[in-house]
Amino acid sequence: MTTIDELEDVRPDLESLLTDVLYSVVGEEAYPTDDPLPHGPVATSRLAAHDELEDRYLGVQVRVGAVLARLLASRMMAVGDPSPEDLLDAVGELGNIIGGNVKTLMFHTARLSLPVADLADQGTDPDAELPGVVVRAQVFGQVAELALIPDGPVDGLFWPPSVTDDVMESTS
Amino acid sequence: MKILIADDSRAMRMIVTRTLRQAGLSGHELIEAENGREALDLVAKHSPDLILSDWNMPEMTGIDFLRTLRANGIGTPFCFVTSEGSEEMRDLATASGALGLIAKPFTAEGFLEVLGSVVGA
Repeated sequence: MTTIDELEDVRPDLESLLTDVLYSVVGEEAYPTDDPLPHGPVATSRLAAHDELEDRYLGVQVRVGAVLARLLASRMMAVGDPSPEDLLDAVGELGNIIGGNVKTLMFHTARLSLPVADLADQGTDPDAELPGVVVRAQVFGQVAELALIPDGPVDGLFWPPSVTDDVMESTS
Repeated sequence: MKILIADDSRAMRMIVTRTLRQAGLSGHELIEAENGREALDLVAKHSPDLILSDWNMPEMTGIDFLRTLRANGIGTPFCFVTSEGSEEMRDLATASGALGLIAKPFTAEGFLEVLGSVVGA
């Protein structure tokens, strides 16, 4: 089981993970920050790790403002004017990379969902505290946020097919 | 040589392509698939010389893709490029016949270390 206390114990690792992944995907140094996300539309990549032994879920949520989402997509896909689909693909993959590393950091055996990304206005309360451990980093002068949420919501998530023997059909 | 890149993220397929170039492993014909099922079809159609595959994908995962290839006697060199790099997954990858597992985030040097002996510049 992953508790808030356990997540707090690895907070420095989570900060390093966020900055390292951002640097890797955009080629720009990223730094830990306490600054909040910008107001306005926010792109979110959401996924979860399922601890199958404990049958518990750890929600993983990565959020960036629309400006950073466009910068990420532009750098990751080498396009000057990323489409909305490019933007969601890039933010989704950012969440996927971070989620995979969170799983490796936190679990011996767990199953990771596929990322689900969207872009939406955060409404009237963009600074509302998430019920988990939150770390943020700044890159290109913009804030990216990683939140880990014990027993986080899994509604709407997709899971890759399980490893099975019955898929070994002939390719001919 | 022909290199098949299987990943459900177009952004990641582009990053893999760019990293191959940065590693000095460019000039090859690249084929792209969005999941293991499509990749399996493209292997039958194009007979690639190397496969770089994500692990978690819709329709068919990378490990099922690899196991299906090997069960059908197809020994194309295969390397995972995936966000999860646990020892358990690395062991499963190699036990199933993969060259290795490159964990995201990765570097050109990491690509070269694993793929240098398979891919010529």
